[in-house]
Amino acid sequence: MRLLTHNMLSCNIKGVTNGFPLKLEADKWVTKEVDLNADFLRGIFPKIEWSALLAAARALGFAELPEQADASMLSSDDFLRRFHHALLELHVEEGALVCPETGRKFPINKGIPNMLLHEDEV
Amino acid sequence: MSTLLHSYTPPSAPLGLRPRPSRCLRPLRFQVGRMGNSVVRAQAATEVTEAATSEGLKKGIAEFYDESSGVWESVWGDHMHHGFYEPDTAASLSDHRPAQIRMIEEALSFAGVSDDPMKKPKTIVDVGCGIGGSSRYLAKKYGAQCRGITLSPIQAQRAQELAAAEGLADKVSFQVADALQQPFPDGEFDLVWSMESGEHMPDKMKFVSELARVAAPGATIIIVTWCHRDLSPSEDSLKPDEIALLNKICDAYYLPAWCSASDYVNIAKSLSLENIKTADWSDNVAPFWPAVIRSAFTWQGFTSLLRSGWKTIRGALVMPLMIEGYKKNLIKFAVITCTKPN
Repeated sequence: MRLLTHNMLSCNIKGVTNGFPLKLEADKWVTKEVDLNADFLRGIFPKIEWSALLAAARALGFAELPEQADASMLSSDDFLRRFHHALLELHVEEGALVCPETGRKFPINKGIPNMLLHEDEV
Repeated sequence: MSTLLHSYTPPSAPLGLRPRPSRCLRPLRFQVGRMGNSVVRAQAATEVTEAATSEGLKKGIAEFYDESSGVWESVWGDHMHHGFYEPDTAASLSDHRPAQIRMIEEALSFAGVSDDPMKKPKTIVDVGCGIGGSSRYLAKKYGAQCRGITLSPIQAQRAQELAAAEGLADKVSFQVADALQQPFPDGEFDLVWSMESGEHMPDKMKFVSELARVAAPGATIIIVTWCHRDLSPSEDSLKPDEIALLNKICDAYYLPAWCSASDYVNIAKSLSLENIKTADWSDNVAPFWPAVIRSAFTWQGFTSLLRSGWKTIRGALVMPLMIEGYKKNLIKFAVITCTKPN
């Protein structure tokens, strides 16, 4: 699971009002290099919840993202490289996503998050 | 002898030893609420407890696809949906992949999805993604990010492998999730895609509500699904022999409920979705099931079936019933598209 995906996942347990962002607990993660596409990064930036990306990247030991980010930074190659690395090159293989409100853990196995809810959560 | 004629029996019960439940064909009755906005509720006509069926159904679906996916892929490839053919043609196995691609293109064209770089979809959700055939195709076609959801962990894994093999791992990702509780925030996607997964949804209203919820303002929603024929104004439900035929098919394919294309249109209207369109493509998919049956009798098809499990074999045995259903104009293949208001 890349952090781009993490940025789009939320907990939809019944009654939960604050299911995003899911906290990331990673037991195993890898780096997979991907070609940097500046146009793509500039296009996706407005859709990214920065604080969620920041926290998730830190959970994987990558602390090189700025605390805040705005569109003006997209002209900096250095910023693009860090953004690209965090968003697309870090892959969580094993771990869990934790609902910020209920603490419920959604497992990640072989890179695939399992977001199925139990009967009593629906 | 069990008295549970109307409750769901777990899939592990051997076929033939359990009572034939009529649970799977509950005519969906829609009522328009009298208060202001039209609120449409689907009412189950039998006393099936939703909680008891839902968990078992999801498990049944997941197990069915965990077991069958490999067989299907080896004979039919990575698109787990009907091909689109010219009516009244006989299709051979070599035609099927172009036909399956054509199905995707016809759906996009019917919905009016733009190729224009400024207007084309940038984020796509594939609801009931199988092994990701549509996801990968759409991601490549539009250069978009695509998220696929499936109940089957084996399918999700395979989908991911195929994406990596095609160099699309940075564009598509797959999650095990329930289409009735999509794990995405509201308004995430420019294109919401459901290719032959609607049949599995026990609650059509919830299914379409979720599609609408995750659609961004102005987004396009495309549903391609098996339906039963529209009821005439004087009819309250399908005829008993029609219900009996659909029940047999339901059991084998883990289909909880059938509705008509008009039912989908009414649900979309009740959710204030716009530009609602539907078409009957039954004649365009008619060559498909005979082709699938013929493939089961090829050496590769037959041996694959033997190596698979009971669920897959049962699915294969029921294929002639699908043909019967289409011939009787009972089973319809429908496309329904609409857009989320801006």
